[in-house]
Parts: sequence; structure tokens; C-alpha cells
Amino acid sequence: MAYKVTEEGNLATVFLDGEIDMDKTEEAKELIFPHIEAGKEIHINLKNVEYMDSSGISVLIESHQKAMEAGTKVTLKEISKSVLKVIMMAKLEQILNLD
Amino acid sequence: MSSEKINSKSENKDFLVHSSSLKDVRSFSRDVFDKFNLSQDLKDELVLAIAEAAQNIVKHAYQNEETQDKMEIRISLKNNELEIGFFDKGRPVEKDNVRHRKIDDIKPGGLGTFFIQQIMDAVVFKEGSKPWINHLVLTKKL
Repeated sequence: MAYKVTEEGNLATVFLDGEIDMDKTEEAKELIFPHIEAGKEIHINLKNVEYMDSSGISVLIESHQKAMEAGTKVTLKEISKSVLKVIMMAKLEQILNLD
Repeated sequence: MSSEKINSKSENKDFLVHSSSLKDVRSFSRDVFDKFNLSQDLKDELVLAIAEAAQNIVKHAYQNEETQDKMEIRISLKNNELEIGFFDKGRPVEKDNVRHRKIDDIKPGGLGTFFIQQIMDAVVFKEGSKPWINHLVLTKKL
């Protein structure tokens, strides 16, 4: 299933869902990275993500780093309980922008 | 095709070594932990550790190459100790090269091994007995 993206001005919101593992990361990157490279601010909505492993977390880290390099920002929105737990296990809650 | 053997304390199943199998690995693990009556939080952590170890087999032992090889996962519970075994026929693991991410090193790689070590009590790489090449053992006292 393709992930949904909405755009409003300079803001792109990417809605990830389901289980994000290494089988899904390329799809997520292909969706997120072009918006970052275009200098847009990105919201990644994680409300409907039921499971995320290290591959998914890596996409969040790479997105954050690319955004900083591009002078823009990635914010994680409506983070599901299961994803928040993994972000905290990775000790990234102070590094990534969580909302 | 996969084979499955079940008894009250131990279950095993084999999976094609491919990223598309990870969903089945998680599903198998969840089913086993449901039978072991573990708490939801513990189940979620253990499923993550198992999926990360299986992912490492796909990514590192087989370097994402297409194969018809299977990996086997065995989950056992004995005297309140959980033992999870992974068997594969990929490249031999060089233990010295298995490193997890440092806590303050913010980069995408090495997180899976970091998670496994956070969740489990012990992580032991063994030489597999034939036909296996690698045998990884994760243990946790419940």
C-alpha cells in the first residue's frame, strides 16, 4: 500500500502506516527525501505505524540529518506508542524533533 | 514451504532468507509468545529483538543476496529462561566485526544489534553444526 502525502505551501506531511521494516524503508525514503531535497519542511505522521524496527528508525535519522543539511526540518507527529518506545530505546528522543 | 514442530516449551520454524520473510518471523514470534503468556510490553521487545537478528542474517550473513536458503528460529522456555536460537548457512559471522552503535553516535547503522543487546541478557555467536554455518543464541531470564 502506498503511503499518503499531503502538501500545503512549503510543508509536506508524509503519513506512514502499518509495519515499517527493511522491506518498506526504500518506499519511505523515496517519498520523504525528494521533499527534503526540495527544501520543504516535513512532518512525518506516525499515528498508524504499528511496528518500526531499526531500519525504520534509520529512515527517521537519515531524514533528520538530510533536513539539517538542507536547512530545513523534519518533525515527527502523532507518534504511536510502539514507535515512541523504539525511539526511546534508541535514545533519540532528544535528537529527533518529536511533537 | 516451512516446517514447524511444536511442544509445550519450544517451537521452531524455518523461513526463506529474504527481507519479505521478516513479517512472517514477527508473526511466528508473536504466536509463540502468546502461548508463553508473556506481557504485551515484553512480547513487543522480544519480537523486535528476533526480527533484528533475522534482519542481520539477511543483511550481513547473506548481504541481501537472492537465495533459496532457509534460516531456522527456535524459541524455548526452560526454567524461566527464554532461549532464542538462529541458524543460517550464510557467510560465517566474524564476531569481532559485530558492533553496535555507541549511544552518542547518531547514525543509521548498528541500531539493530544495539536493540538486541538492550533487550536480551546475553548474545552469543556459535559455530553452527552441520548443515548450519552460524548459530546465534539470545537468552533472557524472565
